[in-house]
Amino acid sequence: MSNAYVPSPSKILDIIKHTEKEYTFRMEFHGSVKPGQFFEVSIPKYGEAPISVSGIGSDFVDLTIRKVGRVTNEIFEKWIGSSLLMRGPYGNGFDVSLFENGETVVVAGGTGVSPVRGVIDALSRTADAKDKHVIAGFRSPDDILFRKDLERWDGLLDLILTVDGAPEGYQGNVGLVTKYIADLPLKDAASARAVVVGLPPMMKFTIIEFLKKGFQEENIWVSQERKMCCGLGKCGHCRIGSKYVCVDGPVFNYTESKLLID
Amino acid sequence: MGFILSREGFNEIITQLSSKYRIYAPVLKKGEGRFTDTDVVMYDFVSDPGEIEIDRKSDYSFKNVLVPFSQTLFYFAEEAVKEADFPDKDILVFLRACDMHALRRQDAIYLENGAEEDWFYRRVRDRLHFVLIGCPASFEDCFCVSMGTNRVADGYMFSVETAQDGIACDLHDEELAPLFTYQAEAVRTVVPSYAKENDTKVDVPDQVPLSIYKDPLWDEYNSRCIGCGRCTLVCPTCTCYTMEDIYYTDNGRAGERRRVQASCMIDGYSNVAGGGQYRKTKGERMRFKVLHKISDFKAKFGCNMCVGCGRCDMVCPEYISFSNCINKTAAAVRAQAEGKEGEQA
Amino acid sequence: MGRDINVKKLKKNAFRISKVRGETASRIRITGGKISAKSMVKIAEIAEKYGDGTIFITNRQGVELLGIDMGKMDEVNQALQPIIDDMNTNQEERGAGYPASGTRNVVACPGSALCPYACYDTTDFARKMEDMIFPNNLHVKIAFTGCSNDCAKVRMDDFGIIGMTEPQYDMSRCIGCEQCVKYCQKKSVGALRVVNHKIVRDENLCIGCGVCAVYCPTRAWTRSKEHYFRVVLLGRTGKKNPRLAEDFLRWADEESILKIVKNTYAFVEEYIDPQAIEGKEHIGYIVDRVGFEEFMKWALKDVQLNEKAQVASRVYWGGKHYDRSNELI
Repeated sequence: MSNAYVPSPSKILDIIKHTEKEYTFRMEFHGSVKPGQFFEVSIPKYGEAPISVSGIGSDFVDLTIRKVGRVTNEIFEKWIGSSLLMRGPYGNGFDVSLFENGETVVVAGGTGVSPVRGVIDALSRTADAKDKHVIAGFRSPDDILFRKDLERWDGLLDLILTVDGAPEGYQGNVGLVTKYIADLPLKDAASARAVVVGLPPMMKFTIIEFLKKGFQEENIWVSQERKMCCGLGKCGHCRIGSKYVCVDGPVFNYTESKLLID
Repeated sequence: MGFILSREGFNEIITQLSSKYRIYAPVLKKGEGRFTDTDVVMYDFVSDPGEIEIDRKSDYSFKNVLVPFSQTLFYFAEEAVKEADFPDKDILVFLRACDMHALRRQDAIYLENGAEEDWFYRRVRDRLHFVLIGCPASFEDCFCVSMGTNRVADGYMFSVETAQDGIACDLHDEELAPLFTYQAEAVRTVVPSYAKENDTKVDVPDQVPLSIYKDPLWDEYNSRCIGCGRCTLVCPTCTCYTMEDIYYTDNGRAGERRRVQASCMIDGYSNVAGGGQYRKTKGERMRFKVLHKISDFKAKFGCNMCVGCGRCDMVCPEYISFSNCINKTAAAVRAQAEGKEGEQA
Repeated sequence: MGRDINVKKLKKNAFRISKVRGETASRIRITGGKISAKSMVKIAEIAEKYGDGTIFITNRQGVELLGIDMGKMDEVNQALQPIIDDMNTNQEERGAGYPASGTRNVVACPGSALCPYACYDTTDFARKMEDMIFPNNLHVKIAFTGCSNDCAKVRMDDFGIIGMTEPQYDMSRCIGCEQCVKYCQKKSVGALRVVNHKIVRDENLCIGCGVCAVYCPTRAWTRSKEHYFRVVLLGRTGKKNPRLAEDFLRWADEESILKIVKNTYAFVEEYIDPQAIEGKEHIGYIVDRVGFEEFMKWALKDVQLNEKAQVASRVYWGGKHYDRSNELI
């Protein structure tokens, strides 16, 4: 038996700044990992935090980190070339193949784009990518993450980029993600699948819209964000009912997640 | 094999066992209670066997031997990680039947939940041996009989309890027979006492419907509970912890990682980076805790988490009774079911 | 024939002069305000039999039985004997009532017998003090309060004794829940802060109230085995210069305090104004006159302060000086 708590150093290959607060760390990693899984990353001056995998390569994983607490004034770019202690991946992650055939809608809000970035990438490469719809919502134009990806996806699948609010003169969509669901051009909502990731109220109201549109409960998937101190099913923080988000999730089918009440 | 010991004989046996074991037992801490000139019974490693308290119920549980309130797991410096040392000696833990049952709950979380065992828990768990403290009478607030945790048949090296003729021991570990025989005042059959009835009785609902989440029964705790978490910190079955890093250098790359016990009743338990928080109200936290103890844990591991030791009821500064809340929950479950039947009829 | 009563003697014997001619009131000492129910019944009986059937609860926790005929004082004194015995009050002659009234009833809050915040047994200390200082004709007021909340309002007395506990911190039991920090901030002085997820106590700022020990869920904070005291000096009400008592000692022990009070009686005897009306002069005015240095010299004579005790080098009092100005600001 090995000590699962002991993290290993992983080299920081690159750091991409998205906003003043959010950065993607490209970390050296060899091993199998799925979108929606997460790593426990030891962030200097902050501590260990669960970070969703936002990108996967043959020798790296992307981890999108939000600056919080004592890390706030740190200049992340300085860290390129050094390493961070991390352990993982943890959690079940998304089974991407579930969404590759037929109509799929991904709704993601803010940092919720991280866990589904790999899913969206896979969808954008499918033959029927035009039947794949992505609604990505951010608080304001300044909070938009993964801009390059969004530009790339825009030509490949049906992307709706929206912000909750914007200064006057903003050219893009303004409005909550929920307002776009009713008008999605779907052939058969009853067989279409949906993935919803974001803050709890956003997920709740988005799912209501999907059900109204005729989606089956078993065709809706969510990813839950909770405090997690271990990723191993021990620390208890992420428990909801009899489920542990870190080991039973974070990805849940809606038939299961609707029974989970905090 | 049963033995009757004088306190001196018992102390001598413990002294001899101390060469092989560290002794972890309830200790009466005189004057160390919360209030002036009050006592408290806490678990501690004892050097003087005379300190071992077998007649009172401990205010805190044995669980801290496995998961201390605060524990350094390892030290890190840049890329190197070094596990914190741990004394290389077996531990003899004195506990009552309810706590023996609680140990199984601790094992469920730390050893069975998730894909991997908890390294730090396993490290200690393998070193534990047990002395069962018999319960000639139930204590106030105990409800072990209702929870079915009032008795254990085995799993201990020997038992101890105060009997009329001395300290009665039921010896299971044959290797210790010469030591006990030498110190014994008398040899007779000893069956560890257990509580056959408690003043407090609870009615645990078989199934708790999801609708109970919205029941108004939780509302009173919004104003009554102060969210201090004492109920969970004395609980022998609560396992939650939080990780903390302490830094030795300004760049935050050398330091130590600790884990400290956490409580779902205390503010901050569910906070996520970015400000999200679940169960803001005390009523929601009470519901979360109570349903874990009597329903959610059972759904996963097949037995109730709560072992009915009643320490939570003893410690609550606001006189909130967990056992009574179980009964209120059961009543609400029944009322809802009857209500539904009524609707159908 | 008119009544021929030695009023000086009457007052010394713990009776009061009433505005109703020929009537008096009996003043009963109840050290620390705590009395057996049995004695309370006796008091009621005396009030019924000799007084007007009413009992006045004094500000200093004693009682006064009103409307007693001056001719019944001897009988009342006889009737008081079981109460005096029960309270273990020092006496000079059995059946003769109280031998003095100058040193006032010793006040105490309920203390650790009841209150979760109290840092010591106030009743016990009050009784020790009473036993040492009574009977005495000098006008001295002493009060005990269990913690820095000062429910007994000891800052209005000559000696105010405030309980303290020295918080003991076991870092290995601390889970960093910060409840101690919150309660110290909200209920006390904010002497605790978080450093590296653990708690650091500002030892100078800490007033030893014990709130941290009351609220710590894991017993990481506990009370010290030793009981400590803050002693505040020479507060007073009155016409000339009412003022609150100011800090004299902190982290002092019981023995030192008893000795200091005893010494103070000697100081008062030495320096009290020989012209003081009825031999009654607040100690504070004596100290104002002869100087704090001289008081200190007397008060601390032969006192072996405990190691932790700290003594103020100077004490400054405030309050309004009506003898200088009666103006509203």
